[in-house]
Amino acid sequence: MTKTLTREDLLKAYRTMRTIREFEERLHTDFATGEIPGFVHLYAGEEASATGVCMNLTADDHIASTHRGHGHCIAKGVDPVGMMAEIWGKKTGTCKGKGGSMHIADLSVGMLGANGIVGGGGPLVCGTALAAKLRNQPFVSVCFFGDGASNQGTIFEAMNLASVWNLPVIFLAENNGYAEATSSKFSVACDNIADRASAFGMPGITVDGFDFFAVYEAAGAAIDRARNGGGPSLVEVKLSRYYGHFEGDQQTYRAAGEVQNIRDTKDCLMQFAHRVTSSGEIAQAELDAIDAEVKALIDGSVVKAKSDPKPTEADLLTDVYVSY
Amino acid sequence: MARKITYQQAINEALDQEMSRDQNVIVMGEDVAGGEGSPGEQDAWGGVLGVTRGLYHKHPGRVIDTPISESGYVGAAIGAACVGMRPVAELMFVDFLGVCFDQIFNQAAKFRYMFGGKSETPVVIRAMYGAGFRAAAQHSQCLYNIFTHIPGLKVVVPSNPYDAKGLLIQSIRDNDPVIFLEHKALYTMEGEVPEESYAIPFGEAAVVREGHDVTIVAIGRMVQKAQEAAAELQKQGIHCEIIDPRTTSPLDTDTILESVEKTGRLVVVDESHPRCSMASDIAGLAAERVFGSLKAPIRQVTGFHSPVPFSDTLEELYIPSAAKIIAAVQSTKEYK
Amino acid sequence: MKHIHTIPSIGIVANPASGRDIRRLTSKALVFPTVEKINMIERLLGAFGAVGVEHVMMMPDMVGIAAGLIRAIDGHRAQGLQPWPVVDFVPMPLTDSPRDTQEAVRRMRAAGVAVIVVLGGDGTHRIVAGECGDTPLATLSSGTNNAFPDLREPTLTGLAAGLVATGAVPVSEAARRNKLLRVRGSKVDEIALVDVCVTRQMHLGARAVWDPATIAELFVTFAEPDAIGLSSIAAMLEPVGREAPRGSWVRCATSGLGVLAPIAPGLVTPVGIDEHGLLAPGRPMQIRTEQGCIALDGEREIELNGHQTYSVTLELDGPLTLDVPATLAAAVRRGAMVRDLIRSAAP
Repeated sequence: MTKTLTREDLLKAYRTMRTIREFEERLHTDFATGEIPGFVHLYAGEEASATGVCMNLTADDHIASTHRGHGHCIAKGVDPVGMMAEIWGKKTGTCKGKGGSMHIADLSVGMLGANGIVGGGGPLVCGTALAAKLRNQPFVSVCFFGDGASNQGTIFEAMNLASVWNLPVIFLAENNGYAEATSSKFSVACDNIADRASAFGMPGITVDGFDFFAVYEAAGAAIDRARNGGGPSLVEVKLSRYYGHFEGDQQTYRAAGEVQNIRDTKDCLMQFAHRVTSSGEIAQAELDAIDAEVKALIDGSVVKAKSDPKPTEADLLTDVYVSY
Repeated sequence: MARKITYQQAINEALDQEMSRDQNVIVMGEDVAGGEGSPGEQDAWGGVLGVTRGLYHKHPGRVIDTPISESGYVGAAIGAACVGMRPVAELMFVDFLGVCFDQIFNQAAKFRYMFGGKSETPVVIRAMYGAGFRAAAQHSQCLYNIFTHIPGLKVVVPSNPYDAKGLLIQSIRDNDPVIFLEHKALYTMEGEVPEESYAIPFGEAAVVREGHDVTIVAIGRMVQKAQEAAAELQKQGIHCEIIDPRTTSPLDTDTILESVEKTGRLVVVDESHPRCSMASDIAGLAAERVFGSLKAPIRQVTGFHSPVPFSDTLEELYIPSAAKIIAAVQSTKEYK
Repeated sequence: MKHIHTIPSIGIVANPASGRDIRRLTSKALVFPTVEKINMIERLLGAFGAVGVEHVMMMPDMVGIAAGLIRAIDGHRAQGLQPWPVVDFVPMPLTDSPRDTQEAVRRMRAAGVAVIVVLGGDGTHRIVAGECGDTPLATLSSGTNNAFPDLREPTLTGLAAGLVATGAVPVSEAARRNKLLRVRGSKVDEIALVDVCVTRQMHLGARAVWDPATIAELFVTFAEPDAIGLSSIAAMLEPVGREAPRGSWVRCATSGLGVLAPIAPGLVTPVGIDEHGLLAPGRPMQIRTEQGCIALDGEREIELNGHQTYSVTLELDGPLTLDVPATLAAAVRRGAMVRDLIRSAAP
């Protein structure tokens, strides 16, 4: 049934989306200096999806994420300070500096990990959901994946498996229009990923990923259905990423002005702020205060990450069985 | 005197006892019960060779048939392990590794390290391996060397019923992902197996036969072949020491190297292809660590660098035989 | 006044977004795949070609209907099958929003198409009706729970549209006038073809109205007991025909007496009734609810914030739609379905 968003819910949603945006914008800036190791894939622009979905979840529910996973981590409750240290390769990071951007995980809040393998998460959430089902626990699992992963066999296998076992799984397709540099208009034969749901005996819907309220309600209906034993479903969220596939991607495959146009007309934070202030539910000053707090949090996380120690040789062979 | 049961029964018994001990242990795979959703008998197969037969009714709801979707259900087993289940997923033939390797080597194997030690993945993946059944190229490989190469995985290759039971129980209790490989030619092998539950620790090789002339390290089914060869060589006055590593990861290097230091001669018998094999790995280890003790070049007895052939004449040529082991031992013994 | 084209032309609007909203989760509706929308258009083209329609103006889109149709047309041509009309895509910038439908219909109307075939739900038809003027619509349901468009084999709809476009059947015999509801506020002037529903849901959210417990007020143009959707609530109180010169309204209650209504596929639920009555044309009624949303033809479009007032007015001069059975019957009476097989088989 319809859940009503309280003022506290609205403030939390905004804070989460703003935290993701600030985290990613800051990484975008810092990456250009060359100080951040490896590669990062930024979630900016897609915040309403992770937030709208995860606002319907508890720490006992699980999510599997993608290489573009920072937003999912923050929305699921992973500490952004530890995440920043992890991305900077520091011992104080969420994964002690051994995982990096593409592998941030925190099982204590139900985050099964960002994943460097496209489509890797589908089978994993079938496992967490199977465990919940066997133990009679009312926990659901959500697999976030992209339009690129929608063409991976693992996702097809996982959708079929979830259906035949009637698992509490939500396949959450974030269709941002590009798998790396290749348009989903070319690569997804049926164009709408949601169309594939019927082939696996589950409902599929498409929802506007720039609108927090739309994602929250649609994902909520899918999650409630799964939690009550109704089985898996496929929710396709149409959205856009503001930056390249990875930082440094020149994005010459995109149309001139494409991103700017979306930022100007559809941006999820802009839409959200407009809605809640024009309805009188939240005052602009409250949002401004959150912006300031979030900026301080992220600034602090970078200062800390820069000064924190790196792992040492003593850490190389811990957390793994070493045969000889 | 303990009772005798087969290798296959030993595996079934280990699963049964662990499922009774811990509700988190589940068995899943293609036809591990068999008959799910069909009009006839449930538990119709109990695994393609009947290894899991009977568990379905003893442990309701915990022996789970899957679609033919190895990435899907092996990944699901791994996901369930992340939240504290102890799934035993059956891959049927180890050759099917080819359709789910990502879930094993990029997901399960790496979680604990990659997540900074904050997760455990207590999953067991059972599969049968090996040549000798005229099953041809896609159903006869060994492949334990591929898993052994991957940090984070543990790899078990029991050579007899006693080890099969004790090592499988240890595999289920272990908190890392374990690849448990069963040679299909060993399923009917009988041996003494205690009825009570027991676990054999990983990384402890068995000295199957003691001797002072030549060390033979043999993997899995090759232990039997090595024993045949050693019995024949005994008649010729050559005393072989046979070491069964039992687990290739972790590998009990101490027992192997101590034996080589004693005998000064090493023959490694490995059914798999020769390149980047357990044979070449163990040979390299001895060459690096105990070179000064060696009295003769190390010899490797392996399959060929070819797919496993189908025709019986070819397949018998492919599989390392007792005769080849004898020849290898003799050549190292005769080296001046 | 009626203009018969020298080259008979038909417009097609297929809503790429229809049939994929939240109601697949809440009311057992199947996702309506793009592939099936393309199939439906191919069946229309077959019927158009058979009755001599030579030109089609097709709305472009960004999610694969146009792309799939181009592939289908190439394949059809390669096989040398019975000719289809030439299909031109309306040259226009796309926004991937309902504005695309509005723009396409404006351009089709300006180009003088004889009929516009619409594939979509009540919501799609509402948007088309806002722009089409007196160009008749041939309606096809490709949505979820629709009261306005026909649930019909597209081949038959295509035949009817083609017969009207070629002048074989005059519009006066083929088309029927529909009613509409106009919603007015200080900055708002919107229409609905079937129903205006006021829900207590605070945000536009997932758009569709799917939770009966949130419905506060309902206004309908017609109410048929055999129609699915929100209008069934009014229908179960007092049916109103599609051509009757009146509508009706209902205020819902959370307790007391109610009616059992099929408000969505698979969802037949008692809805409490506070009061209800008939809606006379041209007489505005105030919306009383202060917090919630106004849904037009099943989709939340306007958020209420308590500061503005809105009214609903029934109007009788809504869009023209083809009555497919009547059109085909008229074609038979006029001999329009007779062909000389020897001549038409000649190369």
